[in-house]
Amino acid sequence: MVRIKHRYLLVHILYPDPADPPKGKIPSKSPEKALPDLVQFHRPSPNDLTPQLLARTIRDQVLLLYGDYGLGLVSSSLNGKFHPPQLMDPLLTLNPVKYLSPATSTAIVRCSRAHYRLVWAALSFMTQLTKTSKQGQPRACAIQVVRVSGTIKKAEEEAIRRARAAILRAKRESGEGSTDGLLGILGKDDEEVLQGGKNMTAGSDVSDEDDEMGMGSDGES
Amino acid sequence: MYYDLNVPYIANHGELQRTLAFLSELGYNTIALDFAVTGKVPAEISNQIPTPLPFTIPNSLHILRRCTLHLSDPSQNYRLQALNSAYDVLAIRPDNEKSLQQACQALECDLISLDLSTRFPFYFKHKTMANALQRGVKFEICYGPGILNSDGGASRRNLISNATQLIRATRGRGIVISSEAKRALACRGPADVVNLAVLWGLGQEKGIEAIDREARSAVVHAEMKRRSFRGVIDVVHGGEKPEREPERFAKGKQEKGKRKASVLEGDEAGAGNPTPKPISKREQKRQAKKARLDTGKISENKPKEASKGSIISPEDAPASGIPNGNIN
Repeated sequence: MVRIKHRYLLVHILYPDPADPPKGKIPSKSPEKALPDLVQFHRPSPNDLTPQLLARTIRDQVLLLYGDYGLGLVSSSLNGKFHPPQLMDPLLTLNPVKYLSPATSTAIVRCSRAHYRLVWAALSFMTQLTKTSKQGQPRACAIQVVRVSGTIKKAEEEAIRRARAAILRAKRESGEGSTDGLLGILGKDDEEVLQGGKNMTAGSDVSDEDDEMGMGSDGES
Repeated sequence: MYYDLNVPYIANHGELQRTLAFLSELGYNTIALDFAVTGKVPAEISNQIPTPLPFTIPNSLHILRRCTLHLSDPSQNYRLQALNSAYDVLAIRPDNEKSLQQACQALECDLISLDLSTRFPFYFKHKTMANALQRGVKFEICYGPGILNSDGGASRRNLISNATQLIRATRGRGIVISSEAKRALACRGPADVVNLAVLWGLGQEKGIEAIDREARSAVVHAEMKRRSFRGVIDVVHGGEKPEREPERFAKGKQEKGKRKASVLEGDEAGAGNPTPKPISKREQKRQAKKARLDTGKISENKPKEASKGSIISPEDAPASGIPNGNIN
């Protein structure tokens, strides 16, 4: 039996613009200023960002860039069926967005192996998340694909590695040098992780059980 | 090492700082801030970008200063020499076919940066492009306007069309991809840029080179043009005084034979490291013998050696100016 092959794109949603002050509150500058840039760019996604919304945004973008032809090519894997939340399969089997963590703004998107570059380009050309309600504002974001993987497991491992490195780096940038607490737990192999943290934005490679076609831009050079 | 050779220098420092931080976050190491010169070149050419920058930038970021000259009238004298010496990188942005031809054939610059978000009423010819490539001038693709797409699709369409045309005309050689991002939102990570390049027909390896090796080569070439003199790239080691010689001998003395090695190890050793290597026993013996032989005729030897020791040196030669220390 021949398997249908996929690519899993591990995606970071970054917010380059400064955060809006929360409504009804006087914008206090001091905590905003204290946040390092790393934390601001990797800020948590808004609450209304759901896997469905992200999937629809990607589909719209593919349609905008490639038209019906492109959407037709990729939609067998970016499955066109769009379930309302109450009917959603808990495993999200029909949604291309296999994983979405609003807290870390990380997602895993599945697409077919033949056309993953189309989806990737659509992600790159995305500049905002669509608004969900009428009064909602479209939020500016930049999407960075940090890893292309042939199996979802590798993508997941990479997501964990990066989240861990990001925490360590943010701690270090904000100047909390304490070795107990989180750093003590996470920092067991901290040197290696921090090394990875330096390269954390450059990596993108492909690992599949059948074919290895490394991207070579892994930042180690 | 990833390069983004075009970040416009804007007066809004908050936004610029954010853009630089975002680029660093995405994984770029070297950024060139760009100052655009349109119309007539001012009489007094000075670098308009302050150094150091008036805000904090991430530590890992290396900042270059570049100037983009908008070229419309080829007959005008643009005094490229003066611009060249004031900035780290000089780019030319031709508006029409004639000025593009001139930029490819004759003008002394490092990058030809066409504004790919507009439509050109002519084809890019391989012959003119090859002329530029032969001289070591690179072509630049700026993806930023296409990403932001502020004019409802036209700039993105033009970008894709022009980029594929340019890649076809240059056969994929000598292409540098940079952002030209006026806002942080228009920047994309290196891997994303490579993916776009692949879709435009550049190929994976060439795409990686476009933000890495080709860009670096453009920077290093620019540096060479400004700083080198008759094949002397850099005087890294000023040469040390021999212990037994009196002071007046030190002036103009350079180490002659080992220049290449000292250039190579320049980054580690640094120019300001005056401590001489400990002399081996063999060397000590040799020196002692030489001293014995020379004692009689030292007065004749000195002027001769002094003239031999003074070699050509560029007017200023800080050691760590060249990125990475070696040149390819």
